[in-house]
Amino acid sequence: MIAALSLPHLLLADLGLSAALLAFCSALYAIPAALRKDARWLASARNAAIAPFVLLTLAVACLEGLLYSGAFGLQYVNAVTSRAMPWYLRLTALWGGQAGSLFFWCWLLSGYSALVMLRNWRRERDLQPGVTVVLMVTLLFFLGLVIALENPFNKLWVAPAGGVSAGIWQPAGTLPFAPNDGRGLNPLLRHPGMIIHPPMLYLGFIGFVVPYAFAIAALVAGRRDDAWIRVSRRWTLLAWMFLSLGLLLGGRWAYDVLGWGGYWGWDPVEIAAFMPWLTATAFLHSVLIQEKRGMFKHWNMSLIILTYALVVLGTFLTRSGVLSSVHAFAQSAIGPWFFAFVALMACVSLGLLLKRWELLRGDNALDSWLSREGLFLLNNLIFMGILAACLWGVMYPIISELFTGQKVTVGPPYYERTTGPLFAVLLLLMGVAPLAAWRAGAARRLGRAFWKPALLAGLLPAGLLLAGITQPAALLGLWLAALVACVTLYEFYRGAQARARLTAGGFWHSFVHLVLRNRRRYGGFTIHLGVVLMAFGIIGIELFQSETQATLAYGEQLSIGQYQLRYDSLVEFPASDGRVITRATLNVSKNGRVVTQLFPRRDYFTDSQQPMTIPAVYSTLPEDLYVLLVGWEPAGAGGATFKVYVNPLVNWLWAGGLVFIIGTLVATWPERRELQTAAERARAAQLAVRSVSAGA
Amino acid sequence: MTGAEAPLLAATPAGLARRWQLLAWLLLLALLAVVGAKLVQVSRGSATSGAAPLFTLASFDGTQHTLQAYRGKIVVVNFWASWCAPCAAEAADLEQTWQAYRERGVVFLGVDYVDTEPEARAFIELWQQTYPNGPDRGTVIAQAFRIRGVPETYIIDQRGQLQAPIIGPTNRAQLSAVLDRLLAQP
Repeated sequence: MIAALSLPHLLLADLGLSAALLAFCSALYAIPAALRKDARWLASARNAAIAPFVLLTLAVACLEGLLYSGAFGLQYVNAVTSRAMPWYLRLTALWGGQAGSLFFWCWLLSGYSALVMLRNWRRERDLQPGVTVVLMVTLLFFLGLVIALENPFNKLWVAPAGGVSAGIWQPAGTLPFAPNDGRGLNPLLRHPGMIIHPPMLYLGFIGFVVPYAFAIAALVAGRRDDAWIRVSRRWTLLAWMFLSLGLLLGGRWAYDVLGWGGYWGWDPVEIAAFMPWLTATAFLHSVLIQEKRGMFKHWNMSLIILTYALVVLGTFLTRSGVLSSVHAFAQSAIGPWFFAFVALMACVSLGLLLKRWELLRGDNALDSWLSREGLFLLNNLIFMGILAACLWGVMYPIISELFTGQKVTVGPPYYERTTGPLFAVLLLLMGVAPLAAWRAGAARRLGRAFWKPALLAGLLPAGLLLAGITQPAALLGLWLAALVACVTLYEFYRGAQARARLTAGGFWHSFVHLVLRNRRRYGGFTIHLGVVLMAFGIIGIELFQSETQATLAYGEQLSIGQYQLRYDSLVEFPASDGRVITRATLNVSKNGRVVTQLFPRRDYFTDSQQPMTIPAVYSTLPEDLYVLLVGWEPAGAGGATFKVYVNPLVNWLWAGGLVFIIGTLVATWPERRELQTAAERARAAQLAVRSVSAGA
Repeated sequence: MTGAEAPLLAATPAGLARRWQLLAWLLLLALLAVVGAKLVQVSRGSATSGAAPLFTLASFDGTQHTLQAYRGKIVVVNFWASWCAPCAAEAADLEQTWQAYRERGVVFLGVDYVDTEPEARAFIELWQQTYPNGPDRGTVIAQAFRIRGVPETYIIDQRGQLQAPIIGPTNRAQLSAVLDRLLAQP
């Protein structure tokens, strides 16, 4: 007797699938309804665009229930969970594989759509049909992929001859089949960073659909004003924050799990996620200019379209198997459909953009390259330069293979050499732009503001030079980072000082109020400070990382920098979730004083026959001591081999990331004035409703 | 207004010039064409099962070796490291086997796993290995093959199919047996 899915499991699976199908129908209905030129139809379309979120929430809850309770008769549950996995990994396995993560993606997309639909549309009524159509077409596409090609509710069926197939419907002559246990999640993904890294990345990726929808709606409606920009800016900032967080967590995961002492490998998939970040960052800068001076409208429209196009392209490249990478998903049939969607979206967007090009004329002209506007434009051009370098690096292997038959990959050295100098120029602009005046920029005036912080920042490389550090790249990089720090901190100081004088309050009191009153400006400066800390960290680990390796017998030691590591013992034991752990004990002393014990280990997952090297790290503010157990003799006493890195300043990178995210939160948070107007609007609406009902 | 005071960017450009529009379309279509062609290639390649993961190895002498370029030939992929004692034990056999089979179109690639370059070069010098060897940067290749440790040897046949992996040190007799069998295949 072959085991089949239990009745509750069967019901859950069918309920989830039905909810997903209904969500699809509702989204399908919303499109023609939104296009009717009638307020009642538009209201109906709005409801139909909100409904998928409710339905998909139910479907996701069903799938979570199936994952949690081990319904191994479902293809997806079987592939990503096993009995040995703890409950939280079974729940987060929702995004552990292709089908589940696409489904999760649909759910987040429906959530964003519902949030957009729930907003007050009074002032942008003519944008509403366009926004609804773009959001629902996107949702239909992804939901269609899930239902037709990558269905997480697919059941397993077994033929009498023994072949197992998967599908929604029972193929003729087969029986339902529920194995006793699943295959389990890829061990590399069983890490806390992996639990939150994908959702953050997805929230970031999908979030860009909202500003894109507003941009397209504005193009279609032929709007000349900045309404779409006002709405889009905060959505972009929100998506950008999630994407930044996703990238940071991904770096942390690589550092903790992949065991090569690095955090960023210029892997094609990393770059695919980095490219929309670049264009979104450029957009967030140039959008300021459009708001203040009515310029760069072409830029802003192009940037937001490009950001979303890069999101879709990046997702397509990763999920279709076109790019091979550690991150790649298993190949599937979604490639051609995804390609068609990318092509359609890109062509429609470009066509609309070119058609409306004239409408997007700027209100003002650029007067000087040394004005604030000029420097912001330069900043955007540099971001585009980095994007071009990245895009070329990703496409080059594909192009070279098509034309020569030889696949020539470009590695980290290419990216470091091409983007390194551009990042340096960006830092310089970050230091100079806040000093420049709007409109008129005179070299002499800028020079007067610039020389003091420049000189002050020069103290850092000068001190390091005296201490014996002579690498020009490091000295230049540190000078630039210090320059940005000086200029930014001075901006905070100057603002707080002026406010203190004006309000006759204390300095710190004024400082807090200054930031709270100008969240965008000072949130932005906080982000700059985060970037400075990250720059210190990146310079530290990239230019001053040292490494060594040695095979040690018990009691022997190796030295690196100021550290001595003594190899004390090696044990091998099984863990409860079916892996075998081999763990070494090392005694670490610094300048002769014992500071800690480290336990680098290798976990071997017997079910998937996959090893995982887990580094042991002694982490301090100036540097990390990062130890890997790379090999050992079976007897243990014969010797074990360790690879040891000293990563200077790497913690500054993580700390900088934290400051960066805090700054983004400050900038994203609505200012009190806006909250007030929102509250007023709500009150007005209430009054209106009351008067209507009173009238009735 | 004199010429010197003219704005750097005109405030009111008319519609975008036709040649720029054309350029934008050409760029987009070229990008789509390249990606589309690659997609067709990938979907063809995945038709068979048991295909070896594709990788690119940059050898220590700076040459790039891609697995796809060797389609039609037998490829022996050996994972090793300078710190690994069993790797030293098999090194001479690997070199001898390669010398014996290189004329018959068998390719050997040495993948150096979690190592430092000076030690790795010294190892190659010591064992006089003449076939291409290169570092596995970021352990990308090792992860693609899901290796369990070093040494491990994977043999890929003329059609890119993986044969049973050899876990642990190998020797000339073992390698010859597999290679002879594959070479005898039509």
